[in-house]
Amino acid sequence: MLRVASAVLLSALSLSTLAAEDAWLLLQKTAYAARELNYQGVFVYQNGKQTRSVQITHMNNNGQEMARNVVLDNGVTLGQAGQAGQPREVYSQGNNVVIVRPKNQKVVMEKRRGQNLFPAMLPTDLRAIEASYSAQLGALEMVAGREAQVIELIPNDAFRYSYKIWSDTEFGLLLKMTLLDSKKQTLEQIQFNQISMLNSHDANWFHPKIDITKNYEMQDATVTSPTDSSWIVAELPAGYVKVEHRSLVVPGKAAQVDQMIFSDGIASVSLFIEPVTKGMRPKMGHMLIGSTNICANVIDGYQITVVGEVPEATVVQIAKAVSFKKQTASNK
Amino acid sequence: MKDQLSALIDGEFDIESAEHLITSVKAGSELKTCWAHYHLIGDSMRGDTAMCHDFSQRVMSALENEPTILAPNTISETPDLQTNTGAASRVFSVANYKSSKFWSVAASAAAVMFVGVMVLQQQVSAPEQLAPVEIAQSVPMEYLQAHQAAAPNGAAYYIQAASFTEPQK
Repeated sequence: MLRVASAVLLSALSLSTLAAEDAWLLLQKTAYAARELNYQGVFVYQNGKQTRSVQITHMNNNGQEMARNVVLDNGVTLGQAGQAGQPREVYSQGNNVVIVRPKNQKVVMEKRRGQNLFPAMLPTDLRAIEASYSAQLGALEMVAGREAQVIELIPNDAFRYSYKIWSDTEFGLLLKMTLLDSKKQTLEQIQFNQISMLNSHDANWFHPKIDITKNYEMQDATVTSPTDSSWIVAELPAGYVKVEHRSLVVPGKAAQVDQMIFSDGIASVSLFIEPVTKGMRPKMGHMLIGSTNICANVIDGYQITVVGEVPEATVVQIAKAVSFKKQTASNK
Repeated sequence: MKDQLSALIDGEFDIESAEHLITSVKAGSELKTCWAHYHLIGDSMRGDTAMCHDFSQRVMSALENEPTILAPNTISETPDLQTNTGAASRVFSVANYKSSKFWSVAASAAAVMFVGVMVLQQQVSAPEQLAPVEIAQSVPMEYLQAHQAAAPNGAAYYIQAASFTEPQK
């Protein structure tokens, strides 16, 4: 009901007179619009050297969100020559995501936990990001044939990138978003090339296009809850909080891997911890792939790997802040 | 395998594919000796023979101080010794110090020393700890994918190479 009120308030105001405070109201409207409107379009995602076109159909039937994303083109995948990106369809219902893709003579389905998928990239609860970013209204621009209001999310410190958001002036739908580093260089861009609103509530489209005569294979991520944590992250970069902690079985690894996910409300960082086993070559250092920074470190015989769409300073700080409790009773 | 080892030392072999070589060297096989030899050869060729040179010098001075070796200079001057030892042709003359034969002996001695030092060094440090590798040389794709699967950033779903739970072929 609050959002209806805010939408009414927004329509009553002229966009040109909106102050910084109102930039947040517009962001709030943008966050809800992506989840509540019925729309179909094609968006293009660019990260580093990679580009994908995706057709999206989104519907909200009485609070139940349904979306189908079909990847329209293939590209060369990250560093895996000979395994070019496979066509895939991503179905989501609420927070449940199923990825469907052909593999040899089978169709593989994977279940995932979905959150902040385009164009619903902004969290509906903006309080978390209000502490770490300031919002500013920019110019009016055209995106995919629609008029859009530019809103900039500028970080208050060096632990996050800045975001530029184009919000449809009529519907509030997020039409475009870019991720920029401190030098204002674009690291990642995602935008609609074509978008239209749907009037029907017909959900006939909500089924895979992939050949259904093939055998299906369900792939569940082998994830368990960690029993005990023998390590802590002493000092997280400001604004980041732990959102998830889980154990994974990663192929080729002898031991289970601990994964902890931190978020500042919009950006996410994963911390992976595994024991350095005999014959394993530990990794050190830092690298950047597209908008993703990766930092590796070794502490007390454990391999620490931190991955996130955040600046180098953030992954480096987290990778150094891990400390292990001593197994013995005596405190050291 | 020795060729590969040689290439590895020369930096002409892909370090990521060299796991088997390093394992073999560590296992103390014949390759370990080769490892030391190749390094010695490499050091000598580069003139970077700090340790070997000193050692060779000491061998040389030791030989100089050794009367039984130094005494027979030439056959004509010391005919008695020649008959006494009966092996004059195998004894070094001062002129022969710089001959290749001498250097090969000195180098062998140095090599043995070198291997000894290598073994000692390995025993001091924890034997199972391999030297860390730069992350850029060995990108942890599995973690990149696990991150994107669990904490998707907008549209990362669409560019994933493959499921990280999928066994690699």
